[in-house]
Amino acid sequence: MTVDEEPQDDVLASVARLKPRDVSSRHAHRLRRLCHAALQTPSGRHTAAVAARGMFFSRVVGPALGGAWCLAYLMEIVRRAAAMYLLHP
Amino acid sequence: MTEMDRADERSVVARLRAGDIDAFDEVYDAYRPRVFAFLLRMTRNRMLAEDLLDETWLRLVRHAPKLLPDTRVGPWLFTVARNLYWNYRRDSLVPDASVPDLLTLWPSPVPWPSPFDLAAAGELERRVERALATLSPQYREVLLLVAHEGLTPAEAAVVCGVSPDALRQRLLRARAALARTLEDTPAVAGLKKGYAI
Repeated sequence: MTVDEEPQDDVLASVARLKPRDVSSRHAHRLRRLCHAALQTPSGRHTAAVAARGMFFSRVVGPALGGAWCLAYLMEIVRRAAAMYLLHP
Repeated sequence: MTEMDRADERSVVARLRAGDIDAFDEVYDAYRPRVFAFLLRMTRNRMLAEDLLDETWLRLVRHAPKLLPDTRVGPWLFTVARNLYWNYRRDSLVPDASVPDLLTLWPSPVPWPSPFDLAAAGELERRVERALATLSPQYREVLLLVAHEGLTPAEAAVVCGVSPDALRQRLLRARAALARTLEDTPAVAGLKKGYAI
């Protein structure tokens, strides 16, 4: 079989004959409307960029800020505990 | 519309780039079932396949203005769908093989093929579906793209991100693996004897 030759044998033919599958008509209709809306509005086409920015915040900036706040909180607790211990050993 | 010739495809791509809804509908009607069937057989999970299908089409819409004039729509869609599937697999902490079992823990599992799907399928189709499901995803995708979706091996190579020679080798191995899996079943005994299927 060459690279661009159509494979023709019974095993591959049995795969070729598998029934088509599709989503429900309701799902197909909903997705079509969603895509139409995104296609029609210029802002819709920028959804990906906005979503990417949102994902960057939720995956990187948010956890980093949270982690920094937790670290500062922990350090302050340790500092106060150490101060109390040093004042009243 | 099931297949587009090159001139039609260029025209559709040009209209898609301009945000034409009718062009989108042409592509959507032609490729939605095919991309969904591919994703369903790759993921073996209807809900997941539906999610990945949604994302595939939304990516087409988002990237429509940036499509190159000579973009092949079908291979582009299958490439996106395939990459989404592999990204999901990479991000997933649960090995693919254990997903069907774990899904039964959820209140509304929709694994695939469901008992209803199996009951509706013919005997041979059932065997082929089950045999396909046991293959590795790499073998499954190449068989589905070439044998079921009708992509040329060269197009499938682009979709899978491998060289045409590598794709050809993978296709031969996948075909052999599928034949081995089917060998024990009476249906393929029929195949071997040349019975009509």
